[in-house]
Amino acid sequence: MEKRGVRKGASFPISPSSILPALPFLLIFGFFFLFPISRLIYVSFMSNENTFTLGNFQTAFEKPYNSGFVNSIKLGLLSAAITAIPGAVAAYFIETRGSSRLKRTISSMNGVLANTGGVPLAFMFTAALGIQGFLTQALKAVGIDLYANSFSLGTFTGLLIVYLYFQLPLMIIVFSPAISSLRREWVEAATNLGANNLQYWLRIGIPLLLPSFLASFLLLFASGFSAYATANALTVGNVPLTPLQIGGLLDGNVSAAQLNLGKALGVVMIVISACAVIPYLLIQRRVARWQTR
Amino acid sequence: MIKKSLVAVASTSLILSGVLGVSSTAQAAVNICQAKNITEAGGMDKLVAAAKKEGRINLITLPRDWANYGPMMDAYEKAFGVRITVDNPDGSSQYEIDTMKNAPKSKQPDSIDIGPLVVTQLTPPGAKPLSAPYKVINWNDIPAAAKDSNGYWYGNYGGKLAIVYNTALTTVPTKATDFTKPDFKGVIGITGDPTSSNQAFMSVLAASIGNGGQGNLADVSKGLEVYKAAKAQAPLVKVNSANLVSGAAKVGFMWDFNALGIVPAAKAAGLNLKFAYPTDYVLQAPPYINAINAKSPNCANARLWQEFLYSQNKGKVAAEITAADIKLPGSKLFAMLQGGQNYFQQSGADPIMSAAMKKKGLLLPSLLDFEVPAGAKIVGPPKISDVLSAREQIIAAWASL
Repeated sequence: MEKRGVRKGASFPISPSSILPALPFLLIFGFFFLFPISRLIYVSFMSNENTFTLGNFQTAFEKPYNSGFVNSIKLGLLSAAITAIPGAVAAYFIETRGSSRLKRTISSMNGVLANTGGVPLAFMFTAALGIQGFLTQALKAVGIDLYANSFSLGTFTGLLIVYLYFQLPLMIIVFSPAISSLRREWVEAATNLGANNLQYWLRIGIPLLLPSFLASFLLLFASGFSAYATANALTVGNVPLTPLQIGGLLDGNVSAAQLNLGKALGVVMIVISACAVIPYLLIQRRVARWQTR
Repeated sequence: MIKKSLVAVASTSLILSGVLGVSSTAQAAVNICQAKNITEAGGMDKLVAAAKKEGRINLITLPRDWANYGPMMDAYEKAFGVRITVDNPDGSSQYEIDTMKNAPKSKQPDSIDIGPLVVTQLTPPGAKPLSAPYKVINWNDIPAAAKDSNGYWYGNYGGKLAIVYNTALTTVPTKATDFTKPDFKGVIGITGDPTSSNQAFMSVLAASIGNGGQGNLADVSKGLEVYKAAKAQAPLVKVNSANLVSGAAKVGFMWDFNALGIVPAAKAAGLNLKFAYPTDYVLQAPPYINAINAKSPNCANARLWQEFLYSQNKGKVAAEITAADIKLPGSKLFAMLQGGQNYFQQSGADPIMSAAMKKKGLLLPSLLDFEVPAGAKIVGPPKISDVLSAREQIIAAWASL
């Protein structure tokens, strides 16, 4: 049996022949990614008079900006948590039981649904579930008044419901490759060795799928955490969310006393997103060896 | 012999006058970017000639359907043969400031139109101002509170806040305190986030003066109370065209000059909207502010555009300008064009020079079909320091209303 551990003392292969083909990508990555981020970090420490200050970060952790972080994280976590398991289950049944035509149809559909957002999505939901929406009227006719309490699409709960619309298809898209990597041979091998369905899932299926599941969950979190256009179309500043606050400071008409506050909020947001995406990349790297066999 | 010396004298004087002529035009061309008023720019004829020669002007964040800018740009282009480019028409005031600070020379705007809440960024303490000082011909007709004494910025046109409502409502909202009536539960709203939208910000001020805060414009706590009370009944909706048409939003404050665009568009979608000023106190908001960019690439056009915007003349609009008019000397051509202040007036926005123009009999009638009620009092405009202090209150309180 081959040993597939990490080679001790393995060095990063930096030779001209390996760098040269990567050069265009590295240049684009540096210019569009590293340079803007380092510039952002630099400016976030600048005061209005262009001197070094920690004031922007100090304000970033006071009201109302700290509520923004809390709400954004909550929205990301909740929208991911609610759609992760249903999405995973749906992905499983589509991948394992669906005909190839069904898979292709659902895949195209999910591609559209997962990318629906912003003003069109907001208007769709307003037309359906707004106070005069047709679904609201239909439910009213049956005796269910959605607006009896303080429900509205422009609240945290309303936003969460709208976010599920694109989070669920995204989960299916992201998780399907993991399902398709579950080999039939493993099911057969397990059955041959005497495992029943439950044992298969508990001992083999779920442990194999768990890393991918976590990775997908983190991706969903990042997606819900950073969504901007939908929240912007539905709310009027009553739900503090970091992307909205950054948008208002960087591209608004009202501004704030501290001119670089938006940049500091951006840096914190990058840190939070990195905390979600970097584990995702690490997990994916670990899982890849099972998926490419 | 005499002929030779005559020729020598003639050629020398010709060369000298040529050199002087060249140097004086060179002087005029150099000074245009430093010209602080029409005299320093060499007079209207020279300014128009220089602008025609430049041939283009860069404007920024001016939608064609905002305060009649579309017709103004058409008239300017036709009369002076200048090509207008507008960068990011739906952009924000902050975008304008950041472009002036960071953009490369080719993308620099010549003239800017910003909201009152970002104007302090034009003159940062301890640094060079972002704008170039310029005082238009009728500088004295701009109220002192609406301009920088050195000419770095000047108010242009302002709006009043009116209540827009869906005529399908059984109760008609007449003032800000009506917002808390249970009839409007769930359909009251605001056009955006007052911490980022100028119109939404001014709506909070308008609510404040209608709730007892008319004495102190720096304190908007009364306005926040109105929206808090409305929110206590049901969450606030976003008052935009989509929500008005779908009936999700039925009542809110909006700029009065938006009425000319919104009411017909709503009617075309089968919806009846009406604008009405509050019957008790009407907010005259601080004006939008103009300035010439210090890094302006087309200096003559920057100044001519300002003169055009601040011209008080009655005159021809784009369709009425003839080819013969265009050939007139600059000052005559300028004098027969309708001035920007009257374009703003017709759009329903209040031109900054309206008081002086009324006295001179130059003000055209506004095209708005609703007026300030007889018993209502017009409050404002608030000073820049008032709105800055109001901003701090709104930023601190709005998210947790």
